[in-house]
Amino acid sequence: MCEVACSSFHFGAVSPALSRIRVAKLEEIGLDMAVACLSCSEKPCLECPTEALSVGERGEILLDVGLCDACGVCVEACPIGAVGFYGERPLFCNLCGGATSCVNACPSRALSYREDHKELPLAAFLRSKGNPSQKRGQYVRVEGEPLRESWKNGVRIDS
Amino acid sequence: MTIHRGNCLRVDLGNHEISRDLTPENGVGGRTWNSVTLLRELKPGIDPLGPENILCISVGPLTGSELIATCRFIASAKSPLTGYLGDSGARGFFAPEMRWAGHDQIVFTGVSDRWAYLLIDNERVEIRDASHLVGLDIGETTVQLREELHDPDLQVAAIGPAGENLVRYAIISCNLARAAGRTGMGAVMGSKKLKAIAVHGDKPVRPADPERFRKACAQLQSNLVGHRQFEARRKYGTTRIMGLAADMGILPAYHYRSAVFEHLNKVDAEALRRDHVVKAKSCYNCNVHCSRYNYTRYGEGEGPEYEAQAGFTVKCGNSDLELAVGVSNAVNRLGLDCISTAEVIAWLMECRHEGVISDADVDGIDLSWGSREALLKLPEIIARREGIGNLLAEGTRRAAEKFGPEARKLTVEVKGLELFSADPRGIKGYALMNAVNSRGGDHYRGEPMIELTGDEDRAMRRVGNRDAAHRLREEGKGALVNYAEHLGLLSDSITICKNISCCMDVVDFDLAAEAYSGLLGKEISPGELWLACSHVSQVEREFNLREGLQTEEDTLPARFLNHPIPDGPSKGATIDIRRLVRDYYREKGWK
Repeated sequence: MCEVACSSFHFGAVSPALSRIRVAKLEEIGLDMAVACLSCSEKPCLECPTEALSVGERGEILLDVGLCDACGVCVEACPIGAVGFYGERPLFCNLCGGATSCVNACPSRALSYREDHKELPLAAFLRSKGNPSQKRGQYVRVEGEPLRESWKNGVRIDS
Repeated sequence: MTIHRGNCLRVDLGNHEISRDLTPENGVGGRTWNSVTLLRELKPGIDPLGPENILCISVGPLTGSELIATCRFIASAKSPLTGYLGDSGARGFFAPEMRWAGHDQIVFTGVSDRWAYLLIDNERVEIRDASHLVGLDIGETTVQLREELHDPDLQVAAIGPAGENLVRYAIISCNLARAAGRTGMGAVMGSKKLKAIAVHGDKPVRPADPERFRKACAQLQSNLVGHRQFEARRKYGTTRIMGLAADMGILPAYHYRSAVFEHLNKVDAEALRRDHVVKAKSCYNCNVHCSRYNYTRYGEGEGPEYEAQAGFTVKCGNSDLELAVGVSNAVNRLGLDCISTAEVIAWLMECRHEGVISDADVDGIDLSWGSREALLKLPEIIARREGIGNLLAEGTRRAAEKFGPEARKLTVEVKGLELFSADPRGIKGYALMNAVNSRGGDHYRGEPMIELTGDEDRAMRRVGNRDAAHRLREEGKGALVNYAEHLGLLSDSITICKNISCCMDVVDFDLAAEAYSGLLGKEISPGELWLACSHVSQVEREFNLREGLQTEEDTLPARFLNHPIPDGPSKGATIDIRRLVRDYYREKGWK
């Protein structure tokens, strides 16, 4: 629902390809998780060759469409595959200008946005290999490991 | 009258040729397109597992849109289990991806000379070699394709060993556990040597009249969230039916020998959630999240839904829930329909209990009630057609021919399709639905759910009869089933989850007309949608009559007609199926 809300808010149309938040589903191990820009402390996407990217006041990445020549370096640079690409330009979560459509749409209240958000380190993922879709999968696999460990130890949904 | 024509992809597996077409003029998506295509293009009398059968996979104009849970694809072909029209829908995420790739219907003809899979990347469509996937189960096939194509987001609909081996109740499944389960569509896919369909799509669904469309979406959202079952469905999904069925006295314990299961609290929704459920799961764009992920000593997986849960516990007299969950995971992986599989096992157990067959008849497998050996071994040997599994893979009707007339008396199927995990004698609308609908013994064609609620006002509004709201009354059931069938067909065209549209009764023709009108940007009335569904309902009947359907087949197994429910809250309930069927024929204008 977060993908639908995001693509609908920004494009008036629905497809995950248009969404700035993407759900990675590792069905074979029961994990699924939404992946979006975490405004990480490393911000490797800022290595933009045309300097089209900057950091906004909420910590979000701002794209100067005029400067962007759609080379895709930022898409490849994101360690967790959170930068989309559609219609000849990268898609950066801009928090819907504060409206946070995905957060509002999530029926499980699994998403939140906090004003006092601290930058999350993603250094552990800087060496992730593959395309954005694969990087999202690797991120969710690692992040979900404690959850799977808890299942093994007998923790159930209502525990 | 043409409401909308979508893009049709024609895949000739015999010549490895791909061409483009439009969906039929008649129909409003999904099942309606498939049924019209099959009546028009399929020769009567062909072998369902032969090269002349046609497999159609459809989504609809609303699939993958903002409308909640528009997540299903419908697979249709002549059924190898019934010999009549077969079709089945699967939820999950495959259908919206197919829509985003720009394809509304895929029509497979012919047989490939070697195992193949279809790869769709938006407009790019290729038939590829699948020899390395043969023998893999549905999960392994999905993971393998995602890995080798470097796309973990790839959506895959596949068959397992059961489909490869032409088990007549094999499934096509996506997302590892979301099955088009009924009527053996996986066997048809296997007969074509088509192992999987893998799709990646990027093209957005954009409503032509966004304001009108959003309003319809918001209306559905509000109907759903305000529904009195919303929270219970979020928590338990369909497994909540276990308790409801027990309260109504319609549990099929020990293969319909009792409506009371003494171990209910060991196998019910609470027990499942407490002991085995680790996470909620959802299909595309749904806020109910009614599915669950389980973790057991027999492995892990998504499910079970009520049918697998009740089928592998209550129906088989098994009080070991963890075992049943393990079996549910196994049949999903192997690619078997859980309803037919549970029915095969429970029927064998009853045959053994009655002395009709012995363990020696089934390769020495212990067939006592709840037998762990039977529950673990039978799905494996059925899927691989090993030993007695080769016969059981044919379904209960054909297997009974081998075991003799006494075994035949104990089968619970209509037109060859095995029944669900409930006793039709205590729910007259469902009984009629099972007797008359186009795919045989099946409750899910449309759900005559109103009879479970006792809501007379709603029954009056929907079908003009207050008695229809009471499950033990026979009055008004013809109209109720006719309405439920129309709503089911509409849902199979919108491709919305029927647990929402039919079971929660939150979608009606007015709301659907607003959604269609808003998405397509033209005026489509509720009456036009009703007529389109009526037309296709007749198309489906015509298909079956052409295949030789006799009206005498619109009935239930004799064991339900001659004997009342022996115990429990519905004790004494019998069923006058001729009366119900006559009432339904009157509604349809049939003789």
